[in-house]
Amino acid sequence: MALLLTQAQDTNYQSIVLDEDLTKNANAVVRLDEMKVDILSQENMLITSKRIVTVLNKHGNKHVQAFAGYDNSRRVKSVRATVYDRLGKAIKKIKEKDFRDVSAVSGGTLYSDSRVKYLEYTPTQYPYTIVFEKVVQTKNTAFIPDWYFLDSFLVSVENSSFTVNFPNGTLKPSIKEKNIQGYKIEKEETATSITYKGDNIEAIKSEELSPSFGKLAPRLILRLDNFYYEGYTGKASNWNQLGSWMYNNLLSGRDQLSNQVKQEIIDLVKGVDGNLVKAKIVYEYVQERTRYISVQVGIGGIQPITALDVDRVKYGDCKGLSNYTQALLKAAGVESYYTHVEAGADKVDFEYDFATLAQGNHAILAIPYEEGFKWIDCTSQVHPFGFIGDFTDGRKVFVIKPDGGEVVTTESYLEKDNSQKIEARIELGSEGGIKASANIETRGIQYDNRFQIQDFNKDEVLEKYQGSLSFINNLSLDAYTFKNNKEEVVFTESVTISAQNYATASGNRLLFVPNAFNRNTFVPKRHRVRKLPFEIQRGFYDEDSYSIYLPEGFAIEAMPESKKINSEFGEYSLSISQKEDGQLNYQRTFFLKSGEYPKEKYDSYRSFRKEIAKYENAKVVLLRS
Amino acid sequence: MKHFLQLMVLLLLFGPMIYSQDFKFGKVSKKELTQTHYSKDSTADALVLYRNVHVSYTYIRDRGFQVNTKVHERVKIYTKKGFEYGTISESLYRNDSNEEDVVGIKAFTYNWVGEEIEKSKLKGSDVFSEETSKYWSKKKFTMPNLKEGCVIEYTYNISSPFSHSLDKIDLQYDIPIAKQEIKVNIPEYFVFKSQVKGYLFVELEHDVASAKINFSSFNRPGGTWGQQNSINNGNLDYKINISTLEILDTPALKEEPFVNNMDNYRSAIVYELQYVKFPNSIMKDYTSSWEKVVKTIYESEGFGYQLDSKRYFKDDLPTILQGKSSNIEKMSAVFQFVQNRMHWNGIYGYTIDEGVKKAYDLKTGNIADINLMLVSMLRAAGLKADPVLISTRSHGVPLFPTMRGFNYVAAVVNLNGENVFLDATNKFSKPNMLPSMTINWAGRIVKEGSGSAPVSLIPPYVSQEVVMLSAELSPEGELQGKVRRTRKDYKAYSYRNNYANMEEESYLEEMEESYGGLEISDYSIKNKYTIGRPVKENFGFLKQDVVDIIGDKMYLSPLFWFTISENPFQLENRDYPIDYTYPWQYKYNIVLKIPEGYEVESVPEKMNIAMEGKVGTFLFNVVAVGSQSIQITSDLKMNHAVIPSINYQGLKEFYKTVIEKQAEKVVLSKISSNGDSKSAAGSR
Repeated sequence: MALLLTQAQDTNYQSIVLDEDLTKNANAVVRLDEMKVDILSQENMLITSKRIVTVLNKHGNKHVQAFAGYDNSRRVKSVRATVYDRLGKAIKKIKEKDFRDVSAVSGGTLYSDSRVKYLEYTPTQYPYTIVFEKVVQTKNTAFIPDWYFLDSFLVSVENSSFTVNFPNGTLKPSIKEKNIQGYKIEKEETATSITYKGDNIEAIKSEELSPSFGKLAPRLILRLDNFYYEGYTGKASNWNQLGSWMYNNLLSGRDQLSNQVKQEIIDLVKGVDGNLVKAKIVYEYVQERTRYISVQVGIGGIQPITALDVDRVKYGDCKGLSNYTQALLKAAGVESYYTHVEAGADKVDFEYDFATLAQGNHAILAIPYEEGFKWIDCTSQVHPFGFIGDFTDGRKVFVIKPDGGEVVTTESYLEKDNSQKIEARIELGSEGGIKASANIETRGIQYDNRFQIQDFNKDEVLEKYQGSLSFINNLSLDAYTFKNNKEEVVFTESVTISAQNYATASGNRLLFVPNAFNRNTFVPKRHRVRKLPFEIQRGFYDEDSYSIYLPEGFAIEAMPESKKINSEFGEYSLSISQKEDGQLNYQRTFFLKSGEYPKEKYDSYRSFRKEIAKYENAKVVLLRS
Repeated sequence: MKHFLQLMVLLLLFGPMIYSQDFKFGKVSKKELTQTHYSKDSTADALVLYRNVHVSYTYIRDRGFQVNTKVHERVKIYTKKGFEYGTISESLYRNDSNEEDVVGIKAFTYNWVGEEIEKSKLKGSDVFSEETSKYWSKKKFTMPNLKEGCVIEYTYNISSPFSHSLDKIDLQYDIPIAKQEIKVNIPEYFVFKSQVKGYLFVELEHDVASAKINFSSFNRPGGTWGQQNSINNGNLDYKINISTLEILDTPALKEEPFVNNMDNYRSAIVYELQYVKFPNSIMKDYTSSWEKVVKTIYESEGFGYQLDSKRYFKDDLPTILQGKSSNIEKMSAVFQFVQNRMHWNGIYGYTIDEGVKKAYDLKTGNIADINLMLVSMLRAAGLKADPVLISTRSHGVPLFPTMRGFNYVAAVVNLNGENVFLDATNKFSKPNMLPSMTINWAGRIVKEGSGSAPVSLIPPYVSQEVVMLSAELSPEGELQGKVRRTRKDYKAYSYRNNYANMEEESYLEEMEESYGGLEISDYSIKNKYTIGRPVKENFGFLKQDVVDIIGDKMYLSPLFWFTISENPFQLENRDYPIDYTYPWQYKYNIVLKIPEGYEVESVPEKMNIAMEGKVGTFLFNVVAVGSQSIQITSDLKMNHAVIPSINYQGLKEFYKTVIEKQAEKVVLSKISSNGDSKSAAGSR
């Protein structure tokens, strides 16, 4: 310890001369990022850290990260900071009492008893350098912080050093290394310590469709097999053991319900056959009666509030609502398992071979069904039973069972699962106006993206169509009806729209785009030098079929030729034909595959989308006869 | 007046029905619970059925007068989206010795379940306090057992020891309010000016009542307001001024685009302390006219005193002014010095945070620290400089002489009879170009010797963005050429604030994307940081598929990716002014060389239009020059920064015309071998 800290004092704080490899693509350079974790006992961990950050411009301020969170079991022993100008001269010293000290309540949370001390500093010049030191003590050895050799995109690191000290083999943490190949990172190990050091790690810049930072970042994940968490000790070295510890200590017994509620549920499913049918009734019961409100008090972190508490107020966070639903399902005689997941549109997996309590940010339920599971998200009041959408789909999650835990992949919605079918009747007026009725049928993630408009008021619905059909100016929505088939998870929109000047007049001609409802002209942006691979996480399949009625007195002068594009990324087809009665028949399909691709293929993907974009806007020319 | 009459008619028509409802706490009816939507606004996610706010003063021994605000609201929730109105949060202020608090919370949720009312109580343990900063905290709770169709009702008291200030009472929410009753009781000792702002056109009614403080059970409370001569038999008689307001059917406040700040239009009662006069003590005057407001501000230590302090810069000033002889040179030198030296710490205010002297040393301070320092240095340099008080856009428009109406101060220099505005807190502002957040109707110049005068903050000049494009079109529909873009004044200011710090590569990638897949090369920029000079960008570009090739014709949009394709004004009607912040102009000059073997078949007709009163003008002209090139000019100009809502239809129509015109195509056709156009267009 003494050695590490003295070394740091030798660091030169000037920022006039900085290594160009480190300033490239960087808003800040972390000159030193040092953390020392002392595992003093199973219930006592001391975390000492020091960060020296040179901020190059205003976007770099957030990388200073001069804050320390605390709560009942985590104590800030000391924090301090010093600011240096570009010459390396100290210009401001900030003591602990000068740090702001406020409740740590984030946007979606009603209340949390966590607090945070943070530094508020207005830079008077760039670059400047801040040295920030903190010492934090906690009992909860179940959560050893992960070590990131790089914090995020657009920041580089000159020296990174992570050490964990432990008294004996029993308290030696297991470590999983992620993405560290290709970096200059060295490991040293003694009987009572492990140290990782990395230096001159260049900044990474995010690119279009590139994987999220977490999937690229060189980092370490740590676990103490013999740990302590909020009053409970535990021993677990795999998901199975961790699951059974979690169940027995944090979940078990929290599913009590009053007899009255139990009876209500029993009555509700009386005479109903089949676990899934019963589960659906219970899920809808929860959806109708509860809502999502996050209150984090005491042990809040990973333990749900009791089912009785949720039943009393009819709200809860993801943990509380999942546990409550699980209790109700149990009353209905249906087994279900509490599940941890990393939620978000970006799919993030649990580490299949490395169990830790820190993974995940959300809770859902798994209901055993045939060989696998049906998944439900109890925080949604609107999703159909068994449909989880892009918030928790297709990723490895931690299912917690009474007899142990396991890592399982949730249901995936890929490619043709995410379909959209549009049938439309389009009438064009001789002044260029359009009147059209369409039937839009969506499934899978496309369903997820659209079905919530059923709860919009008419102004919002209009706004939605004006947004998605933004290429039609002054669009008016003449009529609409929605049908939400929750059984099949199909959403149907029947809409009638109209607009003036849809077709452009040019002398005796009228020009119009036959694709009036589904123009996918997205082209990913060009990167001068593509450095990262790219991914299409889900894909989709669109089918369009439009009958177009032309205005009296006009004849077709020209129209796009039929086109088929096949590529490794997907397929596109377009055909227009004129029927005997003069009516046009427009057919289009667009199939985008999901996949992960190397950076070398990026240009070819751009070309694919560029070519499609061109045909999406292809026009028909009418001539006044 | 018209609204008032409507209200009267409504009262006559529906009065009896409305009053048949019982608004006593807890008397929620079946009718309220089973109602499925609000007939006057079917889009409402929730409706305040009844609201009662009663502000009063109570005298507390040893502490003096306290302000007590009793709130009672009954809210119907129609949809799940309406659940957000089931969470109630009050912001509370505190200083070193006193704090506001919320007490006596009673709250229930009512649901209609199987022909019966189900009542759920909010428990004390479900009320939370959150500290948001040193001076502010929040008390909040969320109602239990919310279901679509439920009614929630709550009441609580906000107690405040800050008897000299009354919070604004909002009269309009984002959801409609069916009935509200406001009552404010203020002892004669406190004299406030009140005003109802917004678009509701309602007026307070006034009355007087008498009240009494009983001292008989304890000793005289001397000290709080000096000698107590008027006590008779342990009682102090005094008058209470009562203001009341009852409003039916307050519509929801709905968001509209290009609005300065929606809260400016939210109806509310605003209070400003005029003076305090206790029995047998001297009247303490706070405000009453602009002159007095300014005098009070001027005399406060955080303002006027700061202007007098001059020692801290006296060593530096001669260096700054060295070689500067004219007033304009001196002004620029001082301004640039302060702008470069000082760094705004993000805190607003027309009174100092650190104090000018300390701020000068630290090189950082709040708005007042920096701009009062600027005024004082300008004066020391022999210029006629004054502070100008401002209310920023997000702070709203000051309605009447008020200290709280301002939150910002800039500087103004009188140069040969002309006002030049200065603000040294933004790195990219320049003389006569205040940061855009401060452009909020009028400010108030505080003259030396404490006179004052209103002054318009809206820039009178038009900020231009000019694009010159010359390019050649290939037979395959590829466009290659050069662009020169010049941004002036606020267009340059806005570029510098948003993009100057961005890495060039990322900036270009963003621009390429926003222009629909343009490929940019040979990019260069001039005057990126040279404040006062236009930002000039030059680049080459290549873009594929800019035309539709159909048969032997090419159809192209003459402005390519600069075409405005969406009308920002989609709403049928509009209540609030359209606020562009500053007058602007977009001008495009395009010279296009068409491919060999093609000729110009048709171009859009010339257009030159103006909105009524020349508020906006649009010139569009496409002409063929020789046989191989086309010259395109588009000039769209908005001469006014703020356009009253009465002109909304005109503006909407104007945009529609502009968009349609810009969408018109240029048609090129292939020249057939015999030199004629192959098109059948002409042969009827």
